[in-house]
Parts: sequence; structure tokens; C-alpha cells
Amino acid sequence: MSDSTLVSVENLHFSRAGRPIFSGVDLEIPKGRITAIMGPSGTGKTTLLKLIAGQLMPDSGSVHVGEDNVHRLSRQALFRMRRRMGMLFQSGALFSDLSVFENVAFPIRVHTDLPEHMIRDLVLIKLQAVGLRGARDLMPAELSGGMTRRVALARAIALDPDLIMYDEPFVGQDPISMGVLVTLIRRLNSAFNMTAIVVSHDIKETLSIADHVYVIADGRVMASGSPASLREAQDPRVSQFIQGKPDGPVPFHYPSKNFYEDILAPSEVS
Amino acid sequence: MSPLIFLGRKTLNTLESLGRSAIFLAQALCHLPRLEGARLWLRQMYFVGVMSLPIIAVSGLFIGMVIALQGYLVLSGFGADEALGQMVALSLLRELAPVVTALLFAGRAGSALTAEIGLMKATEQLSSMEMIGVDPLRRVISPRLWAGFLSMPILTVFFSVIGIMGGYLVGVDWLGVDQGSFWGNMQGSVVFMDDVVNGMLKSVVFGVVVTWIAVFQGYDLVPTSEGISRATTRTVVFGSLAVLGLDFILTALMFGEF
Amino acid sequence: MKRSKWLEAGVGAFVLAGFLGLVFLGLQVSGFAPGQAEQNFTVYANFSNIGGLKERSRVTMAGVTVGRITSIELDPKWLEGRVTMKIDSDVGEKLSEDSTASILTAGLLGEKYIGLSTGGAPEMIKDGGTIRDTQSALVLEELIQQFVSNMSK
Repeated sequence: MSDSTLVSVENLHFSRAGRPIFSGVDLEIPKGRITAIMGPSGTGKTTLLKLIAGQLMPDSGSVHVGEDNVHRLSRQALFRMRRRMGMLFQSGALFSDLSVFENVAFPIRVHTDLPEHMIRDLVLIKLQAVGLRGARDLMPAELSGGMTRRVALARAIALDPDLIMYDEPFVGQDPISMGVLVTLIRRLNSAFNMTAIVVSHDIKETLSIADHVYVIADGRVMASGSPASLREAQDPRVSQFIQGKPDGPVPFHYPSKNFYEDILAPSEVS
Repeated sequence: MSPLIFLGRKTLNTLESLGRSAIFLAQALCHLPRLEGARLWLRQMYFVGVMSLPIIAVSGLFIGMVIALQGYLVLSGFGADEALGQMVALSLLRELAPVVTALLFAGRAGSALTAEIGLMKATEQLSSMEMIGVDPLRRVISPRLWAGFLSMPILTVFFSVIGIMGGYLVGVDWLGVDQGSFWGNMQGSVVFMDDVVNGMLKSVVFGVVVTWIAVFQGYDLVPTSEGISRATTRTVVFGSLAVLGLDFILTALMFGEF
Repeated sequence: MKRSKWLEAGVGAFVLAGFLGLVFLGLQVSGFAPGQAEQNFTVYANFSNIGGLKERSRVTMAGVTVGRITSIELDPKWLEGRVTMKIDSDVGEKLSEDSTASILTAGLLGEKYIGLSTGGAPEMIKDGGTIRDTQSALVLEELIQQFVSNMSK
């Protein structure tokens, strides 16, 4: 592993309820860059993030974050490692019983002994960065989806982590808040030199911010490279995904028997 | 599926979840309490304990009144209605207060705990807490467990006191049992170290078991709406059955003469 | 924070009231008086028949409860019921050597208990001493049997 790599995933195997999700994934996430992990829905992109964070145990293979082998750490060491990580959940996952301010203050309060006025300053800086300083007294239930995600982003960067993972940051956002998020992710990366992993299937936005892209399908890495190289990829499956064609080598239909036979088969519903 | 396989699978699943719940309890309780923990515990104590008071008080009052009424009808047939106080106090202290309090607690506080933790899991709040580097077992589970453990005996004391007051109301004020013999007979037959303390011990055991079941069901559920509703039902059903079963065992150990 | 104050006060009141309730159960319901003389004076008594006496039964003197029975076992030497009781120490100190212990019945069918009465001897019973003069329980069946056999003579 070279010095410029922050996260390296080697030969990762993982299955859920007997169904293989990953069969031999190798990834390297370079330090200080935005790496995108893309792929069709249901290929386990979120699962991959949870494996990197040590929330799930792989069947075999290893994940290193810095010097640590994530799945060999003790429970305590694992929690210590996670302080250097931030994760933006798809749902935001704000603590519903705390206000916006307290949500962002939460990681600072539990991990530092800073006096109250310094916590206040830090929280306001982070909220200012996501443009929600004025919403500090609202409760999570009063926020719109886009605002929730921005608050969650402020919370994820509260402790200035080395690595921040975005789980589907663009899903369900209107074009304006999508643009806001794209700008935020890029600005955080360039201003604070944070390493970022973006998991997404929104091709246009993701390709516009990523330095490096991995495309995952069928439990393994199908393609990787810079956004420009992927746009010109010859592999029909990659080009189908990048260009968003409805049918092609990646089938539109869930695996099933022949349509004609199925229609003519006697009804199974009695 | 053959019945043999079905039985085997059920047994293994049950054993596995019992094991998981034991590990869960050990992990949640095995660490030193901190000041921060005390504040979280206080908050849960309010929701679990104080908010359960009204239902406990009303139930205690009515149950005490009913025992007095029924007891009077039977006892006065033998001309022994002065033993009413003894009957009310003993049945409340030994059985009804711990058991009924635990059943009500499972229904009110237990189901709320399961649903709350389940919803936190379904909305990824527990996951994101882990990602922030905070152990949800410490932050979320442990204060709720302690609040449940400590609330139950206090609620049981309330139930007994209010039940005895209810019995006094019906027996003495309404049916005209002599006040002196009501209290006197009670004091003559209730032994503090046996009846009161054993009743308290029961409630401590019930508090641990019911809270444990409620919190574990919430933590272990499948994070969907159906999963939450099932887990809530399981909390009430398993909690109540555990209380009734344990009550028999504890009664046999405490009051049985082997 | 106003809400937090309410919460703290609520929990405080809850715990305090629980404690007061326990005091009520102790004092008013079980008549457990902490100021009362402690019952730690132990005496033993052997009875040829204990006839339904139970552990935790009362020990009385002149009808007043002064202690409780802590254990009943068979004396292996004499094959008699050996009863251990703990009584108020200030009462125990006034029991003379020739005190008597008898098993009495509350009413015709009521519970069995022990009645103590002191004698006139100058020596006092020591803590852990034995009362020699005992009167066993009246067993109703034996009484009836005696009565019947006397009648048939």
C-alpha cells in the first residue's frame, strides 16, 4: 500500500443470507481525492461503505484504513478509528430528539472537552458551511429532505475527519439542492483536503466531481479510471451504465424463465 | 419441510437469539457509569418511570378496592371481616403489586422502549451514532436498561401503597370494618423482612427481565414497519409470559416450604 | 433549560415518593418499628409435640408479642421438637430459670403460637439458654381419644 492510499480493500467477499454480494472486490482510495463508487441499484454500494466502516464483517478479505485492519480491531479501537471518519447517510439519520444545533454539536461534545462557547463557535462554523446557520433551533422533523442532508453533512464534518463517505448524496434531491450538495462536496475536498468516497448512481453529478471512479456490478469491480476514460470505455456494460440505456448487456428484467412459457403456465394462485 | 427440520431450526433460532440477548446485556452493562450517563439515565427515568405513574396509581387503587370488596364478602361469612386488612395487604405485597405492575410496565413502557429503539434503528440513527464513534449500547441502551431496572421497584411500592389505601377506602370507610382491627391485623401478619422485601425482590427481577426483553427486541428487530410492530408485540407477549412464569418460580422459592 | 429542570424535579419527586412509600409499607403496614428493642435474645425450648407450630410464629408474654420463632428442628438426642426463638432482649433478661413455654392456639382453629411466662427463681436465663419447663401443643385427636377411652371404662 503506497503512502498516498488511505483506504485499501483487498479481495473482499461478503454474502448476506446465503446470497453473495461481493466476490473478490479490490479497491484503493487515494488520499485527498474524491473517489466515486458507482453501480446499478442493489449491487451493495452501501454495504461496501458499512464494510469499510467496520459495521459489517466480511466473509473473507481485508479492509485497511490507514494502518488499521478494520476487522481485526477491538470494539474500542474500532470506535476510536471511526472518529476519523464521517459518514453521510442516505436518510440523513439525524437524532430526532435533538435540535439541529445539538445534532451538529453531538460529536464534538462526546469526543472533546471543549468549553461551551467553543462548541458554539465550531457548530456555527459548520452550519455556516452548509448554509443553515439560521436553522439551528429547528428540530429534524421540521426540515425538508435537502436540509436534513445538509445538517447531516455538517454533523459528519464536525470533527474534521480524514475520510468522509457519502451514501447516495443526490438521491431524491431537487436540482437546486443537488447543485448545492455537489458544490459542498467539492469545496470540502479542496478546502480541507478531506478524502471522500461518494457512492452514487447519479452519473452526471458524480462524474463531474470525482477524481477517480470505480464501477461495481455482479459483486466485483467492473471498471475503474478517471471520469473521462470511463466516458470513452469500450466495454458495452460500462457504456450502457454510463449512458443510461434501459436495456443491453445489463438486463432490464430480473432473472426469470421465458416470458412466453410463464404466461401460458397454469396459474399458481389458487 | 419435515417437522423434524422445523423443530430443529426453531430450537436453534431460539437458542441463538437467547445467546445474542445475553451478550447484548453484558455489553450494555459492562462499563463504568459516567456523569454524562447519569444525565441520560435521568431522562429515561422520567419517560419510563414518572410517566408510568398515572396508570400504576389508577390500577393500584381499583385493584385494592376490588380485593377489599370481594374479601369482605367472603370473610364476613365467617365473621372474620377484621382480617380484611391482612388479606388486602398480603395479596398486594406478595403477588398483585409486583405482577400487575410488571404487566402494565411491559405494556406501557416496554412497548414504547421497543418501538423507540426500533425506529432509531430503522432511521439509521444507531448506525450513524456508531459512525460518529459513539457506542449506541452505552449511549442509548444502557440508560434505558438502568431506568427500567430502577423504576420497577419504585412503581411496585406505589402500587402497594395506593392499593392498600383503596382497600382501606372500601373496607373501612364504606363497608364499616373497624379501623383499628384493619391496621392491627395487617401489622400483626405482615412481616417486613418476608412479605415487603420479598415482594420488592420480585419486582427487581421483573424489572430486569421486562426491560431487558423490551430493549433487546428493539435493538434486534428487522428495521421495517412490520418488523417494529412485530417486535413491539413480542415485547408485550414475552414480557408478560416471563413475568407470570418467573412469579411462580419465585413464589415457590420464597414462600414455599420445602 | 426549563424543561430539563422539570424533568429532574419529576424524577427526584418520583424517587423520593418511592422511598416514602417503602417507609409507609414498613411502619404502617408491617408495624416494623426501628426504635423498638431488637429481637436478638435467643432461647431454646424442647417440646414433645409441636403440633402445627411454624417458623415465624409469634412468641408472646402475657398475650403481647415479644418475639418470633426462627427455626424448628428435631432434637436428635431426645427425639423432641427443638424450637429456637428470638425475643426482645429486655424481656429475655427478665426471664427466670424456671420460666415456662407453652404452645397455645389462637381460638379453636387458629394459628399456633408460644406463650412464655416467668417463674420465681432468682437465677435468670442466659442468652442462648434453654427453657426446661414446657407444655406441648394440645392435639385435638388425642384429647378425643382419651375422652373416649375414659368413657368406655
